[in-house]
Amino acid sequence: MEATRQIYWNIGHGVVIPMYLLVFAAVGVMVYGFWRRLPVWCQGKRLDRFDRYDERVKRMLGEVFSQAKVTRVTDGGVFHAIFFWSFLALLVGTTLVMVQADVLTPLLQVNLLSGEVYKAFSLTLDLAGILALVMLTGLFIRRFVIQPKGLEIVNDDYIVLQLLFAILISGFLLEGARMAATELPLKTGLELFSPGGLLAGQLFTSLTAETLLVTHKILWWFHFALVLGFFCALPHTKLRHIFTTTANAFLAPFEPKGFIATINLEDDSAEQFGAATICDFSWKDIFDADACTSCKRCQERCPAYVTDKPLSPLKIVTQIGELAESNPRGKLGETLSQDALWSCTTCRACQDICPANIEHVNKIIEMRRSLTLMEGAFPGDEVRTAVSNIEVNGNPFGFAYASRGDWAEELQLSRMEHDADVDILYFVGCYASFDKRNKAIARNFIAICKAAGVKIGILGKEEKCCGEPVRKLGNEYLYQITAHENIQRIKDYNVKKIVTTCPHCFNTLARDYRDLGLDIPVEHYSTYISGLLDAGRLRLASKPFSFTYHDSCYLGRYMDIIEQPRNILRQAGGSLVEMDQNGYDSFCCGAGGGRIIAEERLGGKISAVRVKMALDTGAPLLVSSCPFCLTMFEDGIKTGGAEGLMQAMDLAEIVAERITA
Amino acid sequence: MKLLVCIKQVPDQESRFEPDAAGVWYSETDVAFRMNEYDEYAVEQAVQLRENLGEGAELTVLSIGPDRVVEVLKKALAMGCDNAAHILDNDASRKDPWQIASIISSYAEDKGFEIIFAGMQSQDRCSAQVGVTVAEHLGFACTTTIVGFEYANGMITVRRELEGGMKGVVRLPPPALVTCQLGLNVPRYPTLPNIIKAKKKEITVIPVADLLSEEALVATTGFYPPAKKCGGIVLEGDVAELVDKVFVILKEKTAVLR
Amino acid sequence: MKILLVGEYRDGRLLNSTYELVGFAEQVGGDTVMLLVGSETQLPLYSGTLYLADATVCGEYNPDMHKRLILEVVQKENPDYIVFLHSSYGWDLAPRVAAALGAAQLSEVIALADGGFEVGCCSAKMRRTIKPLTNRAVITIQAGAFAAVQSEGGFDLHKVSAEGAGRVSFLAYEPAEERAVDLAKAEVIIAVGRGVGKKENMPVISALAKAMGGELGASRPVVDAEWVAHSQQIGTTGQTVSPKLYVACGISGAIQHLAGMKKSEFVVAINRDKDAPIGEVADVLVVADVMQFVPALTARLSN
Repeated sequence: MEATRQIYWNIGHGVVIPMYLLVFAAVGVMVYGFWRRLPVWCQGKRLDRFDRYDERVKRMLGEVFSQAKVTRVTDGGVFHAIFFWSFLALLVGTTLVMVQADVLTPLLQVNLLSGEVYKAFSLTLDLAGILALVMLTGLFIRRFVIQPKGLEIVNDDYIVLQLLFAILISGFLLEGARMAATELPLKTGLELFSPGGLLAGQLFTSLTAETLLVTHKILWWFHFALVLGFFCALPHTKLRHIFTTTANAFLAPFEPKGFIATINLEDDSAEQFGAATICDFSWKDIFDADACTSCKRCQERCPAYVTDKPLSPLKIVTQIGELAESNPRGKLGETLSQDALWSCTTCRACQDICPANIEHVNKIIEMRRSLTLMEGAFPGDEVRTAVSNIEVNGNPFGFAYASRGDWAEELQLSRMEHDADVDILYFVGCYASFDKRNKAIARNFIAICKAAGVKIGILGKEEKCCGEPVRKLGNEYLYQITAHENIQRIKDYNVKKIVTTCPHCFNTLARDYRDLGLDIPVEHYSTYISGLLDAGRLRLASKPFSFTYHDSCYLGRYMDIIEQPRNILRQAGGSLVEMDQNGYDSFCCGAGGGRIIAEERLGGKISAVRVKMALDTGAPLLVSSCPFCLTMFEDGIKTGGAEGLMQAMDLAEIVAERITA
Repeated sequence: MKLLVCIKQVPDQESRFEPDAAGVWYSETDVAFRMNEYDEYAVEQAVQLRENLGEGAELTVLSIGPDRVVEVLKKALAMGCDNAAHILDNDASRKDPWQIASIISSYAEDKGFEIIFAGMQSQDRCSAQVGVTVAEHLGFACTTTIVGFEYANGMITVRRELEGGMKGVVRLPPPALVTCQLGLNVPRYPTLPNIIKAKKKEITVIPVADLLSEEALVATTGFYPPAKKCGGIVLEGDVAELVDKVFVILKEKTAVLR
Repeated sequence: MKILLVGEYRDGRLLNSTYELVGFAEQVGGDTVMLLVGSETQLPLYSGTLYLADATVCGEYNPDMHKRLILEVVQKENPDYIVFLHSSYGWDLAPRVAAALGAAQLSEVIALADGGFEVGCCSAKMRRTIKPLTNRAVITIQAGAFAAVQSEGGFDLHKVSAEGAGRVSFLAYEPAEERAVDLAKAEVIIAVGRGVGKKENMPVISALAKAMGGELGASRPVVDAEWVAHSQQIGTTGQTVSPKLYVACGISGAIQHLAGMKKSEFVVAINRDKDAPIGEVADVLVVADVMQFVPALTARLSN
């Protein structure tokens, strides 16, 4: 006899109609559960996330089936992925059984599940079930025994884990009962292809045939009821993420990372700018809360959270979800504290690691926009002063705008107003223009370009702050004013290419200014120098040194520039000792999101924490390629007690030291 | 109740000041302008009072100067003033405080203002005369350098800042003029809806010739940087010698050891 | 040339700044007359004609009444200059007198200049020479700009009083708040940086501050290290200051700090590192160890 099994054994085909009715009912309950969420999501503003349908579907399937985002963190992630694949196999298997029993057999009289195919099928499903159980046990131990810091246990977790355990175990018991009555006594060897059932079957061998049949029937209905329960519970527990997180992989934005919607300031019908209530968010911002599984990866990478500031990106997302349900018209400020919102460095670590494609940063920026544009609020008086300085003098320090180009006085550089025939326009930025430490970076970059025969021009007093810090603090108005002035100047000079030494200027000019009409290529000096080296225009003498490299958030996570600076430093003779958190996992210096112009009053110093990480590598040199980072590290080295142990340097300084003729 | 706040547009004090062609004031090349700091406190206090008075109150902001002063008028409107008077004068920097005060008082005399706010002085001219002189011209009660303001039961109560951190509490009835000092309040940052609304508020332009009838009482004959700065000297050597050198410098170049 | 000096009296006491008026008059040259609204028990060390009004009757701050008193003396003495301190008393009263007399007013004179007077402008970054176009002028002089002059010669006392009340009524003095140091208005600031070494060295700096009559400020790392209170922090993230004299002790000069103190009129920096950024804004950079130089300077000042 060919290897197979009788579907609906002991249950009878009479069950088919009630069974399907019940399944449809349960699916109906599930759909209704999600349906009821619709009005909650729809409270948000319109936002088109259904364009480029093909690409969205492709991305969604890729992310879900590969489990790539989940497995970026091995702790929990790998267990989840293996559980997902196993459970998926079980789902496919069960569906196959249903198709066989209720379509193929009655309509076509074909039995796919027989012979070697059945053996493989049976073994696969059994192994998948065992694997799923092992993974689930692992996840259970992680959550309830190990209890990683920040992982909260909520009622959902009990329900979901119990349900999944019950489904898997009852499945094996059911199989065991069937096998105890059928395959086990025959010992044809077929039972070896159901190792799980074989094991579970041992429990039933002592039962009488009659009891066994009854037991089997009860187990079948029990297992079936659990599956129905699974469907019903799905929208009301974290299980919803099966759909919502999947949907979020579809709904994720296609805009470049760090894109912030430009506000139309001419719109005099607008009564609200930024988000003051739930209804000021987009529907996707509200939906994000349903896609969140509280995996706390965002929170544990958040530099503000790690240094005990009152911000958790996870809480921001879940609180938005709670308010959307309980008090959508209420002021967000009553739940989400200003301190939390101002603490964000917009480093994007949360968003980058989020397996659910949640957009944390722009939610915070939208709320900051309301605070700034609607209430005239600031994180502190020092920011008020800095903002007013940017308004008047185009730099946060309040130095006379006319002195912006003074640093380059002896360098015989072209000022665009006198000579605009240059290879590149160097957009210097506020720090390299005014801060003594960072002026060295500007001078070194000039030296590098001169060695490579590149003719550089600067705007001098015609340059203004790019507007990045104020934009991230929510002041879209001031950002647009300064941005338009810069854009107008740059356009006046028929510039071929812009290079910046500051990743913040780089992001702003290369991405944000596009929206305002600047379409000239913009490059960060790290890739520019890399290009000069590759083209052989610049040669470096390799002098050995040991260093660790800090990825600026706005270079690495935002712009994917991770390898180029490392390669340059290696060419310069450096041997790199990586910090644990590097590349996409880099830990912010604390200066992003406008924090560079704000006092860090709450919690510990982010820069000191990062300097400590650098110290732990044993390398005596911390290299970065961002004026904000350098400023923070010079400070972190002092306040973190690392003077004499660690030196902070910029990429340009290392390169300039090694130029050969 | 009609209120007036007088403001001036001044260079940001970080600007590099170079004498103009006549050598009696600064050249406007490379100078960034902003609202006089003390006037910001005046505007904030005026707006707060205007908000407290509610319907029926009207707050006018006034500034004298060339077209560029519209920028500070717009800011004051965005902060909450109801309308603005721009007294157009391309030569305002040549007028002495007496003339400026007489321009303001000619403007204000028939308008029925009950409380006038002004900064205690301008950051560029630093004369601290205009506010009090306007009050004298109009016959208003007046007090200066206030760091606290209250209006209740038809009376104004202020705290004046005196030397050494001491304060004097003073009461005066409208019509009155007060000049405002650092510490009075924290000027609000205009919200975007208010900036947009301010664009539609009325700015009345009045040629200065319509208001000015006085001659200057003070002449400026020179404008130059102070001679006393050392210009970044570096002292090195024996500590005892350094102390002597620094002691002499402190005595000569600063008022501290007198 | 006749000069009327208007003396200063507050909270029951003659103020020493009154003698600076005499110093100014000596530099100008000419006869002096003094008017003081004060008390017979607090008479100045002054020789010449002294008009005295009783402050308990005329009030210490009663601008309408004081203006009338001054005008009465002006009528009697017909002075060329009427001189006040540029103070909360003087700048409040001088324009009223000038307006009543139709006289030119020169504010906050710091020195005599060729053909006129020198005054500060543009937040003391620049100077102007100005001169009155009227025969009579009202002048306020900058506090501390002219040496105080006392004389025991004795004076010719005339009592004056004025009729009527003023519209401005003085209610009370409020004493300066203890502890709350307002660095923004301090004239002398001694600021501490990490170059001081350790918290235990702080008294050395405090002693200098005391000797100079200045307030103690600090850079951010020092505040972070809790050597001083946060309220004493100077810089973009603390207070922005503009004293007449700023002494930076062991401050290297991070940009955030420089931005907060660059409006200081005169900056003395003490630092071991000749290339420290503080040198960019210092009028005098003393290349020395703070802990050696500061005690020596304090000792020199105290002598």
